[in-house]
Amino acid sequence: MKVFALLTVIITGVMLVYGAEDFPKWGDPNQPGSVHVAPRYTQGTYIEAGTPNIVTSVVADYRGYDTMGETTVIFTAGMACILMLRKKKRGEGESNV
Amino acid sequence: MFEYIVSKYNYWVYIFLMMLGLYGMIGKKNLVKKLIGMNIFQVAIILFYISIGSKVGASIPILTAEDLHGSANPLHYMNPLPHVLMLTAIVVGIATTGVALGIIIMVYNRYKTLAEDEILEIRKKSGV
Amino acid sequence: MTYEHFAVLIVIVPLMSAFAVALLGWFKRWACYPLTLAALFVSFICSLGILNTVISKGTIHYHFGGWEPPWGIEYVVDYLNGFMLVMLSFIALVVAIYSKRSIEQEIPEKIVPYYSIFLLLVAGLIGITVTGDLFNVFVFLEIASLAAYALIAVGEDGAPMAAFNYVIMGTVGACFYYLGIGYVYIVTGSLNMADLSQLLPNLYHNKAVLVGFALFTVGIAVKMGLFPLHVWLPDSYTYAPSVTSAVIAPMFTKVMAYLMVRIFFTLFKPYFSIDLIPITQILTWVAAGGIIAGSILAIAQTDLKRMLAYSSIANIGYIVLGIGLANRMGLTGSLLHILNHAFMKGTLFLVAGGIMYKMGMRDITQFRGLHKKMPFTMGTFTIAALSMIGIPPTGGFFSKFYLVLGAIDARQWAFIVVLLISSLLNAVYFFRIIENAYLEPPVTAYATDGGTHEEIKRDELPLSMLIPTLILAAGVVLLGIFNERIIAFIIRFAVPASF
Repeated sequence: MKVFALLTVIITGVMLVYGAEDFPKWGDPNQPGSVHVAPRYTQGTYIEAGTPNIVTSVVADYRGYDTMGETTVIFTAGMACILMLRKKKRGEGESNV
Repeated sequence: MFEYIVSKYNYWVYIFLMMLGLYGMIGKKNLVKKLIGMNIFQVAIILFYISIGSKVGASIPILTAEDLHGSANPLHYMNPLPHVLMLTAIVVGIATTGVALGIIIMVYNRYKTLAEDEILEIRKKSGV
Repeated sequence: MTYEHFAVLIVIVPLMSAFAVALLGWFKRWACYPLTLAALFVSFICSLGILNTVISKGTIHYHFGGWEPPWGIEYVVDYLNGFMLVMLSFIALVVAIYSKRSIEQEIPEKIVPYYSIFLLLVAGLIGITVTGDLFNVFVFLEIASLAAYALIAVGEDGAPMAAFNYVIMGTVGACFYYLGIGYVYIVTGSLNMADLSQLLPNLYHNKAVLVGFALFTVGIAVKMGLFPLHVWLPDSYTYAPSVTSAVIAPMFTKVMAYLMVRIFFTLFKPYFSIDLIPITQILTWVAAGGIIAGSILAIAQTDLKRMLAYSSIANIGYIVLGIGLANRMGLTGSLLHILNHAFMKGTLFLVAGGIMYKMGMRDITQFRGLHKKMPFTMGTFTIAALSMIGIPPTGGFFSKFYLVLGAIDARQWAFIVVLLISSLLNAVYFFRIIENAYLEPPVTAYATDGGTHEEIKRDELPLSMLIPTLILAAGVVLLGIFNERIIAFIIRFAVPASF
């Protein structure tokens, strides 16, 4: 098992390092990730969404639907714990954990 | 060569952390240790995304007063999108950890141990 | 109200009903079941509306909050996910109708959270299917996965351990998937599938894109239980409550197969996935291995649900084989098999749940004389089994037929042999059960009072469980009879035009 784990880790690691070769430099202001979609958020945040905090406007407005999904994930986790751990109440005194 | 390594050191760090986590998830026998591996794994990916979002010489993604009306230069502010994605991913990570811990409690209630090989032995004995 | 709102309602209705079920359930437990049914019924109607709109007016685009695509999130429905939506919402509805008695027997004290999570699972799976945004897929994937972990964990003895293994493997899969998004994002800067499919062709030789593609493939393969990465699947399907197996087995892996098609042929152009890197060739061989291994392992099982789980692994092999052949016939067969297998596996797991409900066991060797006891249930089992083996006029025959045609088109004779061998193996393990149930003399007569032959009383399932099973079995046959129409009106347009 240990050998297998080590092998998997090494293969994955080599693959990731290979892919990182064509990454833009770290912190490059003109990397593709920063010039295609993101500038609209920076420039439009106050005019279109009404807040100077760019992250807020993206979280709650431009990509607000993702945030609804995120809250649903939390709800799912909560319901999952209730489903898995809640026990039937047997008489008084026994707490339900 | 040295220049190349330094220019991407964030990415090397994230790969190292991630492999650490992956090894923990596959190689460890204790369920909680597996879970810790999973957390390291997820945090490594968060580090990767945050690294994508950074720009040298830029400030936090909150507009200053004079930039409010569309004159903001994107070069002066960090890329907000990866931060947003990671807010979601952090929450997802927490939720997964929570559910996994719930399952671990169930496992413990049933077998009174958290070591994988002991659980396998118990299951073999009871014939399930 | 315009038709494009259906695309949102199909997700939102089950999602909001999940909250409503959780709230209402604390006061009135009986309300959970009708509310779940109502939500899934609305969802099913919406899916029909969507498919109708797609056929009459073309692809539906829905922009959330009015933000245009690369900036905001977009729902896109075309032929490919249109038919998936109808299938998913229909099977969810049928299984929900079935669920009442089974859950009341297996986990009576947990009905309220069970239905809430059931709805979340359905909403998550449908959400993955309708969206046109890569990261939104991840969010809904996590909703569906968390729901699936919990639904499996409440099963019988081995379930928590199976669920834990599933959590670990599933998280690796999901993390690989969103790491793949990161690798694509860092060189393109976009998350929208349509936008990315425009941007990516210039970057097809970029190493980050190649690795991103590999990460997508591995991540999805883990989630759908493709052969060498299937270790979580058999235990989970075996120990989960009957209803859980019946909803996860037909739906979850199919949605992942859909996602694979989407990423291979929409996000990336077909020529990238086929010509530039040999990923489709590798996948066909992996899938062929999965088909053989799954079928052989299925023969070795005596537990009905475990056998069905291994047969699922073989069938995921069929679907991936069709994707990997990457020609018109192969992909048609693959999409048709997604549809057929969902119905067949749904039927089989419903029957397994029914036998569990009446007899409390799943051991194949004890099925003797079952056809006298439950004639309709065993009848539906036989129909689904014939379809799994691939005997016309059931649906399973036609999807295998198209897969064989695809293999001929690709000049890959080895796969025809694989398909034929696996059909034989399927016949072996299904006829073993049918033989046990129909031909062997019943054992109960000896067990009860020392040798006297006692007529077995008919003890059929309650109607609320029997009717859904019959509906799905009828679906298996109808899919076979109308397969030409389904292909001519829907699947033909779902296959990428360049094939």
